[in-house]
Amino acid sequence: MTRRVVITSVGVISSLGFSQDEIIENLKQGSTSFKQPSFDREVVVSPVKGFNIKNFTGRFKDARYLNRGATFCVAAAANAIRKADLSDEMQEKAGLFVGSGPNFDIGGEFPEVHNGDLTKNKQAALWILKFLPNTAASVIAKYANIHGENTTIGTACSASLQAIGDAFRKIKDGYLDLAFAGGGDSRINSGGILAYKKARALYTGEEKAKSASRPFDENRNGFVPGEGGAFFLLEDLEHAKKRKAPIFAEVCGFGCSIDGHNMTAPHPYGIWAEKAVRSAIKEADILPSEIDVVSTHGTGTLLNDAMESAMIESVFEEHKPEIIALKSWIGHLASSCGAVELAICLSLMKNNYLPEIRNLANACNRNISFVRKPKSESIKTMLIENFGFGGQNSTLIIKDY
Amino acid sequence: MDVFDQIRDALKEILDIEPENITPETYIIRDLDAESIDLMELSVELNEKFGIEIIDDRIFLRTVRLHLNEAEKYKKEAADVLKNEYPFLGVDRIQEILKDLDGGPVLKMKDLVSYIECEAD
Repeated sequence: MTRRVVITSVGVISSLGFSQDEIIENLKQGSTSFKQPSFDREVVVSPVKGFNIKNFTGRFKDARYLNRGATFCVAAAANAIRKADLSDEMQEKAGLFVGSGPNFDIGGEFPEVHNGDLTKNKQAALWILKFLPNTAASVIAKYANIHGENTTIGTACSASLQAIGDAFRKIKDGYLDLAFAGGGDSRINSGGILAYKKARALYTGEEKAKSASRPFDENRNGFVPGEGGAFFLLEDLEHAKKRKAPIFAEVCGFGCSIDGHNMTAPHPYGIWAEKAVRSAIKEADILPSEIDVVSTHGTGTLLNDAMESAMIESVFEEHKPEIIALKSWIGHLASSCGAVELAICLSLMKNNYLPEIRNLANACNRNISFVRKPKSESIKTMLIENFGFGGQNSTLIIKDY
Repeated sequence: MDVFDQIRDALKEILDIEPENITPETYIIRDLDAESIDLMELSVELNEKFGIEIIDDRIFLRTVRLHLNEAEKYKKEAADVLKNEYPFLGVDRIQEILKDLDGGPVLKMKDLVSYIECEAD
């Protein structure tokens, strides 16, 4: 018999709030954190306010080895682990799957570099840990005594959704009964902004901060960096039932592919992204017409949104699912966008609520059904899409349980 | 700020602990659970704060047991060997350490202070 996989714990830290209820409340009130950062007035960012990792972990010395993205990752994981309330023995056997991005905060880490000499900077003895991709995983494992199968995934903006997909497969295929999965990231620093600005992926301009992130609009001109993290406990359904765990949703399909086309731009026809969507649908053993809502990658860049909307049009010929774009609310969280968007999707599913795509005036595609006004609607099945630099494609299907 | 306060502040930052409980008699490893990487960080920090060279094996009394084994092997007086290796420790402190070996790592806050004061002179 095929094993079924469910989500039994959620920890989230986002600019819309630190709990699922708070997120729904802020979505309904239209309250976002978009603003211009002090170090660059041409761009807009969506920071998380009032965050202190110690509020989630208590006193804990290894926090000094975490870059800001990794602090979101560890705090979200600590939250999910606490809420999961597993026995010590279960926790020890659990898997750990982390999506992680690079630390671009070069200016913050090395404020004084002259002629390439790094030694003038005051650095911790193990400053290397702030740059290693698996530091968050190592800290989470030590903090929570987790020792099972694990991977740290670095597939750019598709990384955390892929980590969740891999955890799903490990459980489905019987390698694990329990796995924690998620990620955390922040590119809101001068190095991160410079990196994406040079790659011409970032919003720049004179718009009001709140209007800058406009996925699928004709006048979109780049993404708005956000930050945050989310973590989940994925669990074999029978295992979850046996211990009477709360079930937030079922994960029923995952798809993944790589374009092999361009270092940063998506394949213009999204043929490999579409393949990832179709393989998730196949694994979920459903028809495209059963998908109620698509949570898009929807970055607000010219290329992604053109490709993604055309790809959705091609997958869903007659049935038109509701299309949402959460980056219009929280910005683009880089490697952690999939995890945080999944956390928000779970809140939407629970509350049967669909938020409008903010700032969408003139849609770039008229053949798909963008959510233009907030809606109360029963949500049974959702498809989540994330695509990353390097042509990375990840898709996940969740069902109401 | 005197040497004690400065070391205490460094430990507070590195170990993420309340500094109030640290006295000269506090054991760094036994009481404060400092791990080897924490001592590495402390070494970097003390070097930075006091501008003196920190020899980790010496300041953290890392090789006490090694020296005692050698003393036994070559039939030397344990206290003499330790005094030679750790010139910053007083005679009384060395006697204290020799009686305290069964309890675990002997390093105390006051040993760090002695090292810094001795080297800074």
